[in-house]
Amino acid sequence: MNNPTVDRTRFRYPLRWRVMDSLEEGASLIWPRSLSRHTGWLLLAPALLLVGILVLGLVQIAESSLHTLDTSTYLPSENYTGENYLTIVESATYLRILWRSLLGAALTVVFTLLLAFPYAYILVRTSSALVRKGLLVILFLPFFIGQVVRAYGWLIILGNSGAVNEVLGLVGVEPIRLLFNYPAVIFGLVQYMLPFAVLLLAPALTAIPQEIETAAGSLGANWLQSLWYVVLPMAKPGLIGAGLVVATLSLTDFAMPAMLGGGSQDFIANAIYDQFFRTANQGLGSALALVLVAIGSLIVGLVFMIFGAGTLGMGAKK
Amino acid sequence: MANFKNGLSRRSVLRAGVAGGGAALLSTLPGTRLLAAEPAKPAEIIVRAWGGEWVDALKAGVSDPFTKMTGIAVRHDLTEDNEIQPKLWAAVAQKRVPPIHVNWDTTTNATKSALRGVTEDLSDLSNLKNTLDLAKPVGLDGYPIVNTYGYVYVLAYRPEAFPDGAPTSWKALLDPKFKGRIALYNDGIGFHFPAQVAGGGKLEDIPGNMDACWKFIQEVKAQEPLLGEDPDFTNWFQNNEIDLACTISTNALAAKKNGVNIAWTVPEEGCKFDTDGLWVPKGLPENELYWAKQYINFAITKDAQQIWCNGLGLPGVVPGLTPPADLVGDPSYPVKPEDFEHLIRISNKVQVENESVWFAKFKEIMQG
Amino acid sequence: MTSSSQKLIFWTLVGISIITLSMPTIIVLGASVTSGNIIAFPPDGFSLKWYEKIAMARELRLALWRSLIVSTVCVIVSLPVGTVAGIALTRYRLKFVNLINIYLLLPFTVPLIGSGIGMMLVFGEWGILGNVWPVGVACAVINLPFVIWSVSSSAAALDRDLELAAENCGAGRMETFWYVTLPAVMPGVITGGLLMFVLAMTEFLVSLLLTDARTVTLPVQIYNNIRSIITPDLAAISVVFVVIALIAVWLLDRLVGLEIFLKSK
Repeated sequence: MNNPTVDRTRFRYPLRWRVMDSLEEGASLIWPRSLSRHTGWLLLAPALLLVGILVLGLVQIAESSLHTLDTSTYLPSENYTGENYLTIVESATYLRILWRSLLGAALTVVFTLLLAFPYAYILVRTSSALVRKGLLVILFLPFFIGQVVRAYGWLIILGNSGAVNEVLGLVGVEPIRLLFNYPAVIFGLVQYMLPFAVLLLAPALTAIPQEIETAAGSLGANWLQSLWYVVLPMAKPGLIGAGLVVATLSLTDFAMPAMLGGGSQDFIANAIYDQFFRTANQGLGSALALVLVAIGSLIVGLVFMIFGAGTLGMGAKK
Repeated sequence: MANFKNGLSRRSVLRAGVAGGGAALLSTLPGTRLLAAEPAKPAEIIVRAWGGEWVDALKAGVSDPFTKMTGIAVRHDLTEDNEIQPKLWAAVAQKRVPPIHVNWDTTTNATKSALRGVTEDLSDLSNLKNTLDLAKPVGLDGYPIVNTYGYVYVLAYRPEAFPDGAPTSWKALLDPKFKGRIALYNDGIGFHFPAQVAGGGKLEDIPGNMDACWKFIQEVKAQEPLLGEDPDFTNWFQNNEIDLACTISTNALAAKKNGVNIAWTVPEEGCKFDTDGLWVPKGLPENELYWAKQYINFAITKDAQQIWCNGLGLPGVVPGLTPPADLVGDPSYPVKPEDFEHLIRISNKVQVENESVWFAKFKEIMQG
Repeated sequence: MTSSSQKLIFWTLVGISIITLSMPTIIVLGASVTSGNIIAFPPDGFSLKWYEKIAMARELRLALWRSLIVSTVCVIVSLPVGTVAGIALTRYRLKFVNLINIYLLLPFTVPLIGSGIGMMLVFGEWGILGNVWPVGVACAVINLPFVIWSVSSSAAALDRDLELAAENCGAGRMETFWYVTLPAVMPGVITGGLLMFVLAMTEFLVSLLLTDARTVTLPVQIYNNIRSIITPDLAAISVVFVVIALIAVWLLDRLVGLEIFLKSK
């Protein structure tokens, strides 16, 4: 007869095993294997709940978007009405601002990716550890300075008496207005988004083995061909993912148009700010915010439909 | 109350300085026995203020002496006036204790809060009887706000751009050589009324017929103005981006103090004159409400006003203040009735009721 | 990269990026040592008085401390949540995956002002406003897609067969997760965690609506200061941030190696 007690004193499983085993048992109790086809949802649930806080906020905003402002009491109207939405649709100003935001987001995506792709490519492909570390440090530092202070730095660099105009002055060029126009806003957005885009692109490029490029080369493809036919298609999920982040973040950006646009290059977020904080018309501000959410979500949805849902997860295994 | 008022006399403040502590001061005051009737003191009260020179002036003139006198610390919340507004409104709507005790606000913004009913009535402040008419908000019942000083939206300019002396008319903004080098507030505030005059219209027609104003703003738009907020003007003048701007004299003054070459004038069409004030949001515990009101009561004493308003370079609301030496006779520092002749004052009620419309119209022109 | 024309074009574009990314940092560095009262470049004389000023400011130190709490809460909340969500999105077959993705991207498609106002109302109703930690939760919400994203990109690179092999060898679900899946997504987790920490450290718009004078965080303090007048002490604060960042990056490099951002070990 075996004596389990003796056995146990003589031989003990390592602590790590026992912890794992008890975790395993616990897991089986709470989430039996029969439920395993729902495991994906279980893992997703916390994120859905966390974003749920935002959705609860959106519900409040949706409620207030259905009331107009009574400027004799500065209270929202009692009855529900769609008037705020009507105001937006009928206003040429808002449509123009909306168009400006959409175009701005598109331009920002193009320029950001154009700059981010080679940056990420060299970051991944360089054989020099020093170059890689240098590029990574340069990439990280701007995050720590924050958007507003960085935009302020650009005001100094690009101003009428700023560094760039001073250099131009040396070669006899009169100071030119580089700030407070649409290109300045786009530039501000691109420099703000660039680090995000590189960080999102780099893993996608890492996943492309260098050997594939070498193979393409040995089969006679020049670098443009192998870039176009091999690297870009393989990096597509990463490009689309990065593009989507850049597009949504710049579509809803507030600080760059406010600081570099000189007040006449408003994006939708600035119009929302004005309604909430300047004219205290929370109903109209809410309506504008919801319109923006709807447009942003529509774009996201379209991208997923065209390029596949794997985009976010960069190719979910089916 | 009576006792408290005594406590705020000039001599007491000086004595407080000597005694060096609120507790010490209070025990030396006559009528200390009445203190028992005062509600319990909170450890601190929070006053919203604008940062930089603004909060420095408030601290020197009002907050520090108040702390010295009462022992209640004053913490300043530097959230912008229009950004704290939705926070206060939400707090009152959700029946929470508001995040601040006293709001230092533009009278226009404060009027919105008053109309909405989130302000406490301040009519019983004992020091109100010593103030000028300016302290009373126009078009509102009682004192939901106490105005504390006035200010002027002047035409600020770089003297280098005007070798022949100050511009005499707002039409200077239309001079082709200043194209792209002029600035307005991004909601057009302060500019509507002089624009109405400059465009050939009448002030009496506001708000009924403002075609003249919009016509003039349309012409200004062709000059590609920069649009911004208070700090932008300082930066723009400093970095040589602009030559002319419609801005509050305080900003021009601050820029000048920081070494920027800048001057200002009140053109022939006149300038908008407006006020800032203090108010207390609803929803505070009884004792904190009491001390918040006492803070405002103190802010309209002559001593407090003298230091606070001089720090801002603005005319206060009690008679007999001594203006800063460099602002005597300055058009942005009106004192005598004739100083006000060129200043345009429109009731804040009219302003807030029409503001959204004016704002939308201004944006429509400027965002085009 | 073997072709010289490719090298030229790529390095030109990277050069533009490097200048764009580092110019404001250099300007801010320079402006912080000015002896004048305004931010200017080149600086107006040399002085460390602005550093002295911020070192003396108790309010700033408290705000910095609260910001560290906010960032820590943000990482504690967002990292586990985002990691499992990222794994779920890549490793499991889910219905309505398009809708899920649109939903999970709401933090980016809702303008920050909307998120701020909305969460202010929600937290207000829950009666938790006035604390520091809800600001961290809010930062976790508005930046969550970054973690999900960086984790999923790492997870997608992991061969499903590895997990199957582990399970074949008798590993349970937890063991497989702990010893196979998690190490594989670690680069994404670290990138995401760092991003979340830093973004929470510099977030101002949503925080502005969720803080009051007693709970104000550093970026809100900075933002409010900028609104009145911009003085070189703000440049000095930014430089302190940069120095902290450099130390953090150096430590990270010594401890795990910077390459972890790019490759799984």
